[in-house]
Amino acid sequence: MSGKISGPEEIDLILAALADPTRRRMVDLLRDGPMRAGDLAAAFDISAPAISRHLRILRATELIEEEEAGEDRRLRVYRLRAAPFADLQSWLEEVADYWTSQLAAFKAHAEGRSAGKKGKKK
Amino acid sequence: MSTSVSVAITLAVPPDEAFRLFTEEVDQWWQRGPKFRFRPRAQGRMCFEPGEGGRLIEIYDEEARDIYEIGRILVWEPGVRLVFEWRGPNFSKGEVTEVDIRFRAHAEGTRIVLEHRGWEVLPSDHPARHGLANTPFLGIRAGWWQEQLTALRNLA
Repeated sequence: MSGKISGPEEIDLILAALADPTRRRMVDLLRDGPMRAGDLAAAFDISAPAISRHLRILRATELIEEEEAGEDRRLRVYRLRAAPFADLQSWLEEVADYWTSQLAAFKAHAEGRSAGKKGKKK
Repeated sequence: MSTSVSVAITLAVPPDEAFRLFTEEVDQWWQRGPKFRFRPRAQGRMCFEPGEGGRLIEIYDEEARDIYEIGRILVWEPGVRLVFEWRGPNFSKGEVTEVDIRFRAHAEGTRIVLEHRGWEVLPSDHPARHGLANTPFLGIRAGWWQEQLTALRNLA
């Protein structure tokens, strides 16, 4: 995947990438700042190819970016990118809008019923 | 990384009554219209089956037992807390999120805090997890919400 992250498809890819606990933990670790691939790998008890695969998936969604640091892959530095998280956030905000609307409808209903029960008050 | 959503509202009704109206009369206040449907071209009656183990369902034909099960009720504490599973349209089998609603006494009546969580685990059984990109069903779901909200904005 390349280009700007904007539509629902991209957000789905982000959610799919974050569905994996290892990748979520990688993202959490990177929230504290950029890390070398080697240090990142050391935090997990899984094989180097598995680490590479997870990093590749996160890179593909543009959740993280890689900074070249010469020949040695382990010295490559990974950092979080802000934009995809902003997009995920905006999608979650739409979920929030959905419930805000439902709760507003409930409030109107409940207060109307309550006023009705008391009789004359509006 | 949090993928939960939280919204709150205050209403001039005591918590016990708020809980009762929220559950017993869900069919009366639940937002309707094509964009809010769980099943295309169908509108049924919304119903909380009271108590833990009950369900939030939309009933299309009672006799034929034609329903859409949104989810099981996990916590049922009248006047205090209501937690239920949430399976939206186009969720795959095994995919479920959770809605957690707390009712708190408040100077004005009741403060309701609703949390919808678990969005990050949704695609866990999905092929996307194994590296296949582009996930059609997820696209449909995200599109569903988007349409819902666009319709809402148009109404507003």
